[in-house]
Amino acid sequence: MAGRDLVDAVLAGRPGAFERLVREHQGLCWHIIVRLVRNPEDARELCQDTFLRVHRCLHQYRHESALKTWIGRVAYSIALRHLERRRIPIAGLEDDDGYAAIENVGGDFDLEAACADEELVRHLHAAIETLPPLQRMLLTLYYLEELPIVQIAAITGLAGGTIKSHLFRSRLRLRNALEAGKGVAV
Amino acid sequence: MNDADEHEWQAQERALQAERLGLDATDDDARLRRYRLLARTLRQPLPDTLPLDFASQVAARLTAPPAEMAPVSGRFESILLGVLAGLLVVCAAVVLARDGQAWLPAIRATLPAADVQDLRWLLAFVGCLGCSWLLWQGPRRVH
Repeated sequence: MAGRDLVDAVLAGRPGAFERLVREHQGLCWHIIVRLVRNPEDARELCQDTFLRVHRCLHQYRHESALKTWIGRVAYSIALRHLERRRIPIAGLEDDDGYAAIENVGGDFDLEAACADEELVRHLHAAIETLPPLQRMLLTLYYLEELPIVQIAAITGLAGGTIKSHLFRSRLRLRNALEAGKGVAV
Repeated sequence: MNDADEHEWQAQERALQAERLGLDATDDDARLRRYRLLARTLRQPLPDTLPLDFASQVAARLTAPPAEMAPVSGRFESILLGVLAGLLVVCAAVVLARDGQAWLPAIRATLPAADVQDLRWLLAFVGCLGCSWLLWQGPRRVH
């Protein structure tokens, strides 16, 4: 069922239509919210709030963007408000070049040969958790959801260049953290 | 972005594409291998997920009766009711303690004079209170 048909079915109150809408978009909402708020319990509640609001406001959806983008935007704004209420800063490493400078990154050291893959992945996961909420979410949308930068921009309201910069810096930071964590001289 | 940044960005993007397409990594340099490892890690499903019946749970919330839709406001109302009832009892106790001694002789004086007519009115009043209470209890049991 196409997005427009699904929206019409939900608005007409057709049985099972809303449940289907939730099932088709819950993955995206989960990735946006859990990466921003981190706490799974809070994230589950906020996901539920997102879909209740989607149901309440669906008549306002004008098909100007993809349904996925529109729902993603609702999830993003709900998670953002949650972080604001708790005074948690959403972005952080805007200009901490000391951490993300290319010069700091090791050159030819064969990291993979030095450590077991599993251990490296564990180390990377820990490093990802230390990223600020926005960067964590952007990486997940880009890698796991495979959304293009244009669509991420439509969801978050950020400029494409800003998203690109966040992705670049956080990837560089993770690469740096990966090598620094293994005691590589940088 | 300067040239070095642009070069690094291209390496990050190449690694992502290589992971998406599942390309062979034997010819990759060390930098590309690290970014591929990063891409592989970021593409793994998150450990926490939504419950399997999440969609049906959300849909069920929409069809739930209003009392279940707004448990917070219901709870707030009952707490408020309890607080107000408590306040009423405290006020009544204070007034009784302060003015009770003055009322007692007046009540005693009226009691012997009360005739059968007064008693009937009193019974009718108690009956009305009982009926109201029963009518109020009925709808609550339905919920």
